[in-house]
Amino acid sequence: MSITGGRAPKDASRREQQRRKQGELPDRLQAAGGMVPEAAAKVATATGSSEAAAFGVASFYSLLARPDKKVRVCTGLSCRMKGADEVLEAALAAGLDAEGCSCLAACDTPPAVLKDRVTLPEVTALDMAATKGDWTALASSSHRVQATATGITWTGDVGPADAAPDSLSINLLGEANYEGAGLAKAAELGAGTDDADAFFQELENSGLQGRGGAGFPAHIKWRAVAGQPVQERFVVLNADEGEPGTFKDRELMMRRPDLVIEGLAIAARAVGADTIYLYLRGEFQVPRVCLEDAIAAFEAAGLLTGLDFHIHEGQGSYICGEETALLEALEGKRGMPRLKPPFPVEVGLWGKPTLIHNVETIACVPGILARGGAAFRAQGRDEAGAKLYCVSGHVARPGTYELPLGVTLDELVEAAGGYVGELKAFCPGGASAGFLPASERTRPLDYKSLGEVGSMLGSAGVVVLNDTVDMRWACLEQLRFFEDESCGQCAPCRIGTRYLREAVDRDVAGTCQSNGDRALTHVDDVAWQMGEGSICGLGQIAALPLTSARKYFPGDFQD
Amino acid sequence: MIITKPTCTIDGQKFEFTAGESMLEVARRNDIAIPTLCHDPRLDPAGACRSCLVEIEGQRRLLPSCATKATDGASFQTKSERVEKHRKTLFSLYLTDHADEDSEGGQHRGAPNKLAGASKKFGAENWGKLTNLRDEIAGDRSADVNPYIQYDSDLCILCAKCTRYCDEVEAVSAITLVGRGSETAIATPDSRSLLDTTCELCGGCVAVCPTGAMGEKKPKTRNQPIESELKKVRTTCNYCGVGCQFDFNVDPDGRDGLGEVVKVTSPDATPNQNMDLPAGFSGVSSDGNLCVKGRFGYDFVHHEERLTTPLVRGADGDLHPATWDEAFDAAIAGLEKVSAKYGDDSLAFVSSARCTIEENFLVQKVSRVAFGTNNVHQCAAT
Repeated sequence: MSITGGRAPKDASRREQQRRKQGELPDRLQAAGGMVPEAAAKVATATGSSEAAAFGVASFYSLLARPDKKVRVCTGLSCRMKGADEVLEAALAAGLDAEGCSCLAACDTPPAVLKDRVTLPEVTALDMAATKGDWTALASSSHRVQATATGITWTGDVGPADAAPDSLSINLLGEANYEGAGLAKAAELGAGTDDADAFFQELENSGLQGRGGAGFPAHIKWRAVAGQPVQERFVVLNADEGEPGTFKDRELMMRRPDLVIEGLAIAARAVGADTIYLYLRGEFQVPRVCLEDAIAAFEAAGLLTGLDFHIHEGQGSYICGEETALLEALEGKRGMPRLKPPFPVEVGLWGKPTLIHNVETIACVPGILARGGAAFRAQGRDEAGAKLYCVSGHVARPGTYELPLGVTLDELVEAAGGYVGELKAFCPGGASAGFLPASERTRPLDYKSLGEVGSMLGSAGVVVLNDTVDMRWACLEQLRFFEDESCGQCAPCRIGTRYLREAVDRDVAGTCQSNGDRALTHVDDVAWQMGEGSICGLGQIAALPLTSARKYFPGDFQD
Repeated sequence: MIITKPTCTIDGQKFEFTAGESMLEVARRNDIAIPTLCHDPRLDPAGACRSCLVEIEGQRRLLPSCATKATDGASFQTKSERVEKHRKTLFSLYLTDHADEDSEGGQHRGAPNKLAGASKKFGAENWGKLTNLRDEIAGDRSADVNPYIQYDSDLCILCAKCTRYCDEVEAVSAITLVGRGSETAIATPDSRSLLDTTCELCGGCVAVCPTGAMGEKKPKTRNQPIESELKKVRTTCNYCGVGCQFDFNVDPDGRDGLGEVVKVTSPDATPNQNMDLPAGFSGVSSDGNLCVKGRFGYDFVHHEERLTTPLVRGADGDLHPATWDEAFDAAIAGLEKVSAKYGDDSLAFVSSARCTIEENFLVQKVSRVAFGTNNVHQCAAT
């Protein structure tokens, strides 16, 4: 068993060794200093790729492309509402080589700052000034941060504190458990044998839907991978949490890594995979340590025999949270989504059948087995299970709250200590879900109900905006995010994201398009084209912040 | 037993196809036009330009016909309202971000620009112009002193045909997509000159580029009529024995009306209708691929020092123009003289790699039959 990136285990096949070498490309680029002259040439030989391909990879990922930037301040909506701009200014004033960056998955502890690759919560302008220009001296004065032997650790707020354990699928406040009851139950139900129907049926009974955003029934994916004629299969954990407003996976990995690792082990046994790839965003240095500790604990209990856990660090790219872009990144390439179909269950990592799940989805599995699918289903309302909701922005206690799937915004915010100010709008599921007006505060926050109003639950990253917020400003922030994070592969997204951002910039400035048309004249057509023409979900939904903001808050725009 | 071929329905009409064919291939074989920018039969389909999307029955999303295999019973639309709207808005979006036909660039360098044609055809509108963010990420191109290939980011639609061709067909991988999002461009590692990369200057990137962003640098190809107005003369490359086919592109007004070769383009492997060829043979051995010599080494054609007649050295020691008969006679006389004096094996024949296989065959005939020696060699054989 190996739990680090890098070399494949000694007994791995030659083909697997070659694959690992290729997949190491981003790691080696990082070691070579990122996108600096001659770095590509150095790593190309070692990994068997061309120099041009290595250079292309280095330029794609923001942590590699700008290696000098050791301090990055989150520019997500929640962080900017909490003074991220001042913190960035203070960083530059202190002489730090700093820049703004995309959401760091710490919206509950804003403003978040990335120090090299470690995310710090609640960094203040004073913290920046105290560095006196030395980035290594940067430390957050937040009460959350604790020093450990290997670095620092910190967690966000979670709740509800008084919930009955039976009502929770995850239970972030629960004790980590390395006894492997879920694994034992999976084996009992026949997982991994020719007679695994009882196992899959239990999964189906649970009604578990993918918690990464799409809400796809999990059992269909599991059955599909297990039923492939190709025998070599993979399980991949998608821990590239980057949807603005979302931080539940970070909190889950830090508090209950046991559930994640046990869920992965169950998945591997059930679909017949030996190798499990964990794709963590590079900014998750603290969660990574928690996962490694959990792997070691299960290993010590003798529950991971024959399984190889391989952790791959992301290098700064939101789009790698898209499952096929993630596979490309694992293969050491630029993270550009693949055309679908074929889907990963059929043609996935290295062309083999692959089961990919979000952290939260996989963490639900041990509980489903231990307590039964029906119990899990009963934890939700119209849809199954309890759900980790991330809530940030204008609420009293931003954090991760595990509530029945289908609670309303009002219920969620009540758990988070109530609104700050008068509710104006909210993003129900990260930037990708667009905005909804206050009148939707009693709509169930689940996959179906939000889909009905052209929004989505997505990753359940709920951002609450009060009436001090200009919706045009808020929408511009989201548009800029999608423009920065578009992979650039297909024209509708590459050009469309920029067109929309420039159009809103013009609306702010009160200027026209170069052809004399008003700033927003063509944005609906652009949005239509992005929705129809884009390869992946990013482009398909990237116009939603603008179209929804215009729909519900036309008064906030000039045009 | 009756074996029936699978069929699919395109725009309401049924067509047979062979398993493995893409929807695009079936449509094109039956003269149903589908626009493409990033497609090339030599490359794996990328589905990146999005021009070839079609509406497939039972599919929620429009899908790229280049990358979607035809299946038995499948039905798809290439002209539905949704597809038409898609093409119109897609090309409108392309126009916001790229130099069009009338601007400097493609037109003035004579390169064909498929984007401009398609935009007109599908009724693309002017939605205003965006600023070009590709230039900076592409690096300083003026430092690239290679004599043949240049990159104009203004025209580039990032279809990645050039980088895929360089990798998949030539296995050279000198260029790559660099950056991401709207700040993506085509570049070399560390933005070096092509001369300092693995590039072999084959010019394939220029040939596959649909917009002229990858263009030919030679001054002669600037300010010339656009490619469609040049006369194409098919010929066989004589730089080596492979026999690549190419088209001399002749500017009829060049050299005071004598005509001038201003460019070489490579035909694809579409079967030549004028040749009686068995099925599956195109008569084009090179499949549209050329090397640096064939693609860019055409200056000699009109060079003032080019030999256009045989020369025979006279008693005065100087070379004098002669007819082919006189030249052959002189050569034969010289060879026979040596052979008579020193024996057959005192002669050796070395043929050129620029000769065709038929010519090489004849050289060994001359050697073995006419002069009786096995001393025959060909310079490419070592």
